[in-house]
Amino acid sequence: MASDVLMPRLSDSMEEGTVLKWLVEVGGEVKRGAPLAEIETDKANMTYESDADGVLVEVLAEEGQTLPVGEVIARIGEQGEAPGGRAEPEPESEGAEQAEPEGEAGEAQAGEAEAREAEAEAEGPGAEAKEAEAKGPEAEEKPAKPQREEGERVKASPVARRMAGELGVELGSVDGTGPGGRVVKSDVEAAAEKGGAEPHAQAEKPAEVETPATVEKPTDDEAPATDETPSQSEAPAATGGPPAPSTGEAGPKGDPEVIELTRLQRTVSRRMAESKATAPDFALSLDVDMTLCIELRQRLKEQTEHAPSFNDMVVKAAALALRDHPKVNGAYRDGRFELYPRVNVGVAVAARDTLVVPVIRDADEKSLGEVSRQARRLIGLVREGKITPPELSGGTFTVSNLGMYGVERFTGVINPPQAAILTVGALMKKPAVDDRGGVVARDLMNLTMACDHRILYGADGAEFLAAVRKLLEEPLSLAL
Amino acid sequence: MPAMRYREALNLALREEMNADEDVFLMGEDIGVFQGAFKVTAGLLEEFGEKRVRDTPISENTFVGMGVGAAMAGLRPVVELMTINFSLLALDQIINSAASIRYMFGAQVKVPLVIRMPQGAGHQLGPTHSHCFEALYQHIPGLLVAIPSTPADARGLLKAAIRDDNPVVFIEHETLYGRRGEVDTDDDEPLRFGQAALRREGDDVTIVGISRMAETALKAADQLASEHEIQADVIDPRTLRPLDLDTILASVRRTNRAVIVEEGWPHGGVGANLAALISEQAFDYLDAPVGRVTGADVPMPYSKPLEQAAFPHEEHVVKAALATFRDV
Repeated sequence: MASDVLMPRLSDSMEEGTVLKWLVEVGGEVKRGAPLAEIETDKANMTYESDADGVLVEVLAEEGQTLPVGEVIARIGEQGEAPGGRAEPEPESEGAEQAEPEGEAGEAQAGEAEAREAEAEAEGPGAEAKEAEAKGPEAEEKPAKPQREEGERVKASPVARRMAGELGVELGSVDGTGPGGRVVKSDVEAAAEKGGAEPHAQAEKPAEVETPATVEKPTDDEAPATDETPSQSEAPAATGGPPAPSTGEAGPKGDPEVIELTRLQRTVSRRMAESKATAPDFALSLDVDMTLCIELRQRLKEQTEHAPSFNDMVVKAAALALRDHPKVNGAYRDGRFELYPRVNVGVAVAARDTLVVPVIRDADEKSLGEVSRQARRLIGLVREGKITPPELSGGTFTVSNLGMYGVERFTGVINPPQAAILTVGALMKKPAVDDRGGVVARDLMNLTMACDHRILYGADGAEFLAAVRKLLEEPLSLAL
Repeated sequence: MPAMRYREALNLALREEMNADEDVFLMGEDIGVFQGAFKVTAGLLEEFGEKRVRDTPISENTFVGMGVGAAMAGLRPVVELMTINFSLLALDQIINSAASIRYMFGAQVKVPLVIRMPQGAGHQLGPTHSHCFEALYQHIPGLLVAIPSTPADARGLLKAAIRDDNPVVFIEHETLYGRRGEVDTDDDEPLRFGQAALRREGDDVTIVGISRMAETALKAADQLASEHEIQADVIDPRTLRPLDLDTILASVRRTNRAVIVEEGWPHGGVGANLAALISEQAFDYLDAPVGRVTGADVPMPYSKPLEQAAFPHEEHVVKAALATFRDV
């Protein structure tokens, strides 16, 4: 019997996912733990591994289709099993009580409780068989009264069904006098009076029981609404985008190329807009004399192939300073400050048309070398598209660096709900005034920090920034 | 107990409450000198003077808004609109202001406002004067909605509405103004909102009649008894907000069948809502789908025969009730 493969929740915040690629063809063999599909979450593209062995019987989510977490995306069954059908109940709407469409299994397991639930559910022959069994052994003895087509659902009112269950009346044996032959309460009462329980098994068993009649269908009117799964109604979100003025003549800007956002791009746009709309931000800026950092890096280079970069030094310095400035390492959330005991510094990395922020956890407790190695590894994963949500979550602070492009200084957009983002400019020789009033060339690098004023005030931010500068201007302290 | 007309019962309630509380005053088009389009305010200008019985220009949104303001400032205004159709002009004041203000301001202010207005077809007044909008007003949280169908209920509920600190949409019916009924004038106690009336008892089917349809339902029940030996419970909810669902459910659990009769449109109507509530809460007691008898799904026609065909009469209710028993 086929089992459903549901859209998995691959990150905390994932609400829907897009199937990018099926890695197994329909009819192909599926192994537990082997890659089944590539799925794009709100944070990253992930390879999803199968939970079951078998054959990919049916694919319900096509490549490119976006579905909510928990929706059926495929079915895995045995070799030769037909796809389609609804032999399997819908997971959310129908409960376990009608779970076994196959007679043998269903009956073997039909305990009291299950039979009772089946009655309450108002069912076709499947439920009746179970019900009869629960009633007693004589059930099997009497032949079915050929009132209806085999497998046809008994038409009975809700109260008639309930009372039939209570009085032990077999609904299929009662003549209905209501509209359209519906069995109504008085019919059940009359039948109960006539001979009490006249239960009969419907019961040659399995074959008929396999019909989908046990699935309680909504009325015809409602069916289209129910069939319209969220996937369909969500489709516009995936394929929509701005109304493309591409038909007819082009506007004054010409015929635009319309590009749909990837899930990651959508996440970036939503969170950045959220940040600017909700966080009252201000920026603080200062220059750091990097002379000793340059010297340190030069000496480290002599020791190792991968000497820590200046950005690694900024990350390490920021991490150390964050430990002493808990508000900078906190967040304003729902009218309260949250201060985090762990210092997890995110490093913004541009890659593949998007922006992700892998996180170096406990950066304050890691050595400069360890911070550097972690950063290099994470950036590599981003570039290869192999970064996973756990490596992108849990950040308490963010560092972003555009110095390599020659940008002298810039201000970032806070990554909510974090309190601040530190942006790093290019390291360059600039004229500076020394202690004696003379103009000298110095190796300066700008640090700018955008702060959420709801948690960080000017003096808090300035103290923190000064601490980072002190650490970078005396870089030996980074080794402490 | 003296018998009086529905309009006289309303008039009595207004007079009694104005005598009892100086803060009660009336506003509306032609309610003073002309004594009201349906003569509900007859004699009140003479008795209470221009300060408390105020004629207004044709400006529904404005004078309903004045009512909201007066209520917020501590008075107890009773505003009359000539028909419920005209209340649509004041919908902003009714929904955005009257219904919401107490909530928006954390209960720092209250809006003890009553908006009285008649609804209903049968007088060849066309689509702009003849509709029924109880379904529309029952939709709005923050409003109380009364739909009295007898003179006694008209008096009792209007007294309750005036004394209530919440905004009340008080829906009268044009056809009912001339109906006579007994009113216990010695009893000064207002009726309670949210208490349905069981007009007739029977074990076979529950018929719920809304506004004037309570009357139609009662006549249909008599016909069901005399011609079909079917005994019906007839329930008049009297108020839709709050709704006395308990009485309706208790009846349906006994009769296993329900028919809702209303004069308004079918889509999203009172019957649609009640059918949903009954199915949700009494599903295992039903012997048939909940029946609905409603006005036709069209603007109210002007032509007399078409108008008569566009709202429910006894025979429609009888047929709907029978359909819960057998194919008809």
